[in-house]
Amino acid sequence: MRAWLSLASFIGGVLMLTAACATSEEWSEWRSHTTHFASGTHGMFSMRNNKDGSNPRVSRTDIDSARQENWWGKAITVSPEQIFQN
Amino acid sequence: MSRLRSTVLGGLLLAAAPVISGGAALAAPEDALRPVEKYTTVREKSLASAHRTRLLQFAAQIYNCLPWLAVYPGELGFRQARDNQGNDLYLSMWIWVDQREDASFAALSQQRRVSAMFSRYGVDMLRRMAELSDVLDDRNVAGLSVVLSWLKPGTSRPGRQAVNETLALFVDKATAMDFLAKRVAPDEFASRSQFTLFDGLDAVGRVPLEVWEDSFNSTYKVNSYEPPKGAQCQ
Repeated sequence: MRAWLSLASFIGGVLMLTAACATSEEWSEWRSHTTHFASGTHGMFSMRNNKDGSNPRVSRTDIDSARQENWWGKAITVSPEQIFQN
Repeated sequence: MSRLRSTVLGGLLLAAAPVISGGAALAAPEDALRPVEKYTTVREKSLASAHRTRLLQFAAQIYNCLPWLAVYPGELGFRQARDNQGNDLYLSMWIWVDQREDASFAALSQQRRVSAMFSRYGVDMLRRMAELSDVLDDRNVAGLSVVLSWLKPGTSRPGRQAVNETLALFVDKATAMDFLAKRVAPDEFASRSQFTLFDGLDAVGRVPLEVWEDSFNSTYKVNSYEPPKGAQCQ
């Protein structure tokens, strides 16, 4: 029984340490690669431009249209009344 | 290396998935300004009228030059913090960040995400607002406020309700200017600022805020994006 408890504690400790290291590693990766992730617009237009082999210019209106076309639901967001007085 | 490869692959797969917009209606520059009729006092209306042209130019610059951000309609203007005991007015802007699902971002804890988003976008927006010297010099403006909303990781999956995380920060003019000029350290800036995190509609409250240098917002360029003619992007 005692041996089982020791083993369980050991495994639990290893899991905790592993999780902590992974978080720390992910954190440092995100922090050090400032262009590691980009906005949806970036991914979207990179794909669109490469599809037909051309490289068309992207306007601000294109971005608005693309956002509207791909819009499928409204995200739950705090209301202004919870932040501001007036 | 394998982590990097898997992250890149994940990014490509995500790019193929439907893009999730975070809930901000699309606002042209003039729609970003808080309408004068929404202000309730003479002081507020006077401020809004006096600086309308400058704020319009500012909204246009964000709209044209930083297309990965969007100002919430009517959320650029002069506001009072909800918990403010006095009647201090802050030059305030509520920004939605077009942050899609990303494995490394999702791996961060909520408080780390807050620090990351504020460092990446909040500080740069404070800097841009601080450059509106004619507005900041107005004695009726007590400080600056940046509100940032972004998609909470994992909530845009099919069958789930998308949720935005929101950080609302208010800081007095002197602290903001000293922080931007590096005369006030980031931890001191955080301790002097008033801020609250919201998870969807729920107030999480004040979380530890770490602030560091991040040049993304001032250097990033959208592939093949061309600002409208006449737009002055720095």
